[in-house]
Amino acid sequence: MEQNNSLPPFPQSLSSPQGAMTPGMPIFSPMMPYGTGLTPQPVQNTNSLSLLEEQQMQQQQQQQQQASQQQGGIVGTSGQTPQLYHSQAVSTTTVLPGNTPLYTTTPLTPMTPITPATPASESSGIVPQLQNIVSTVNLGCKLDLKTIALRARNAEYNPKRFAAVIMRIREPRTTALIFSSGKMVCTGAKSEEQSRLAARKYARVVQKLGFPAKFLDFKIQNMVGSCDVKFPIRLEGLVLTHQQFSSYEPELFPGLIYRMIKPRIVLLIFVSGKVVLTGAKVRGEIYEAFENIYPILKGFRKTT
Amino acid sequence: MVGPCPECGSSNVVEDDLYSQKQWVCEDCGSLVSEGVFTTTLSDEQHSRTVPYYESTETSKKPCPNLIKGLIRVRALCRILRVPGDMESGAVSLFERAYGNPAFLQVRLQKKEVLGGACILLICRQNNRPVTMGTISNLLEVELAFVGVVYQDLIKALNIEPSTATSLINMLESYCYGYKLSPGEVAEVFAETPRRLVERSTALAELAADTWLVTGRQPLPLLMACVYVAWQSLKPMGRMKVSLNKFCVIGGLGKEVCGARKDTAHKRVVELRDVLCKLGKELPWLRGDTVEPGTVAKLVDDILKHRQALHLKAMRHYEEELQLQFGDQLASSDSSAPATSKAGDKSEPDPSPQSELSPSESKLKGRSQNLSTVNTTEVGGEPPAGELHWGKRHLFLPPSVRPDKQRRVDPPVPAVTGDEEISDSEIETYIRSPEEIRKYLTVQQKLKEDGD
Repeated sequence: MEQNNSLPPFPQSLSSPQGAMTPGMPIFSPMMPYGTGLTPQPVQNTNSLSLLEEQQMQQQQQQQQQASQQQGGIVGTSGQTPQLYHSQAVSTTTVLPGNTPLYTTTPLTPMTPITPATPASESSGIVPQLQNIVSTVNLGCKLDLKTIALRARNAEYNPKRFAAVIMRIREPRTTALIFSSGKMVCTGAKSEEQSRLAARKYARVVQKLGFPAKFLDFKIQNMVGSCDVKFPIRLEGLVLTHQQFSSYEPELFPGLIYRMIKPRIVLLIFVSGKVVLTGAKVRGEIYEAFENIYPILKGFRKTT
Repeated sequence: MVGPCPECGSSNVVEDDLYSQKQWVCEDCGSLVSEGVFTTTLSDEQHSRTVPYYESTETSKKPCPNLIKGLIRVRALCRILRVPGDMESGAVSLFERAYGNPAFLQVRLQKKEVLGGACILLICRQNNRPVTMGTISNLLEVELAFVGVVYQDLIKALNIEPSTATSLINMLESYCYGYKLSPGEVAEVFAETPRRLVERSTALAELAADTWLVTGRQPLPLLMACVYVAWQSLKPMGRMKVSLNKFCVIGGLGKEVCGARKDTAHKRVVELRDVLCKLGKELPWLRGDTVEPGTVAKLVDDILKHRQALHLKAMRHYEEELQLQFGDQLASSDSSAPATSKAGDKSEPDPSPQSELSPSESKLKGRSQNLSTVNTTEVGGEPPAGELHWGKRHLFLPPSVRPDKQRRVDPPVPAVTGDEEISDSEIETYIRSPEEIRKYLTVQQKLKEDGD
């Protein structure tokens, strides 16, 4: 998933001043008729306007009012009422001398902020990195593990220890457990696509070894992610306030085990600020779980 | 009474029941005179209903011997740990309940033995009585991890909400009483009343908790370290040269308890002394002299008395030092970093409103300028080369945070879609050639022959 934290590009003609987070009325907008030699002229000449033009004027006025509300009512330097110069700028039917629109987009497009600058709940800005993906696939045929272990270079098979062939490939760096029933488990990939590609490579190897392997029911079973919140965490405080979700036994394990209910993710939280998230079936669950836990952890950020 | 015996004619006929059948037997010749019916009612008799075995010769269900042994063990443990009577009965009933639970019916005997200890642990925790898993594992002579497993299974099986472990401070008092340091038992120089020891160790333990030495760590080595440093500081002149091993011997714990030089208890002593040195440096009457860990025992009394003030001073000095050292780096990110570091380091109530504002302020600055030591958009949390690791901004850090450790950088993996073409040549590299297979088989054969 591409990280996209930048604001969406403004229409080219409008320049946004540095540091302005809320897109307001740009100061040097072509809408402001400075130096164009335009003189404010009342467009509404009730006697001469046709009905159609009257309707258009009314529409434009409504839009102007909306736009002026959104733009905070910044009025032109000449002290004109918004209505007048807006109507001048917008008018397509009434041709005023010297009024060539310097931009292509309609100026009354509401400039609503698409990514709010300071949202109500500020996102952490930290993205958990995926460390391991476990997936399973059904090769759809019975396999002779002895043959596979004999004829493949990258396989190991010790039936007394474990009833599956352990196969490894270099790219993507993964390990697979291949069972005689034809089912396979693939571990070690760092993304869903890599896991899928790796599983396909294993299936291709098995195919080349002479078995009619297929690629059925590929499913991601578990995803593990980790990240660093960059401040030490008071685990004793956290276990007191979130008792029903947390388990902290320093004699058994140095980290706190937090079982989040929605999404159903298990988090291992350590005093150094490192967090490990596991149990996800899709990437979004890991991100969601981290965004849920971050404000809680910030509350226990008792720095010395 | 029935009449005389038809066989011998004696009138000595007695009632002698066989199972549930009434019988009248002649005592002289032993012949059966008459007998009653097996069943109780006439209707039963008429319908000849068979009486099942369990109704006729049923005995009441006795508790199995393992359960009895387990109960005895639980009571013995309670007596050793000096658990009050009501808690003991609670533990016993809990053990009975757990023993009958399907989760514990068919487990190995060892697990059933440890189950008693786990029940006591649970009851003590619920009543806020300090008992560590380490104590239970020592008493039952099993591994700590095993006790943990049984404890967690117990909680899950009986659906009890897990209660938290008691804090270090609570454990300290009973731990201190375990040391035999009364004036009669040891030399005058080494003797110490438990009360003074508890007081001093509690203060040290609180200090350790404040400076991140306690969170996530095993409690027992920490307790040992606190008690040792406290004992040394109560009479530094005579006790400064006494090592931790010797202290354990003096206190009657035995030489092996604290372990070798590199073991945990020694490490905790080093960490605790390190913290004390950092604070001791700020004592005004030392005028900035360095404090050595070996001799800090003399100053512990003063340090503990003025703990809070020394803490504040130490942090302020550290920040000033950071400013001087990394002033250029921090200046380049337009004072966003010092603002956040100030906000990050101060935990006292006075600067806290300041800390509320500056993180958001600095985040805005960071975003717009795209350069910040407190990175806003970081994947995996890697600081760019040359920037300050966040840990360096804190004076007191959990020891597991190592600001000097180099983060491993994996080579960037090209993005894949998962449905790409897989080249045959790549797959060929994973398959043995016939030549290889032959060689492999011959080698295997040879090895087998050699083995036989």
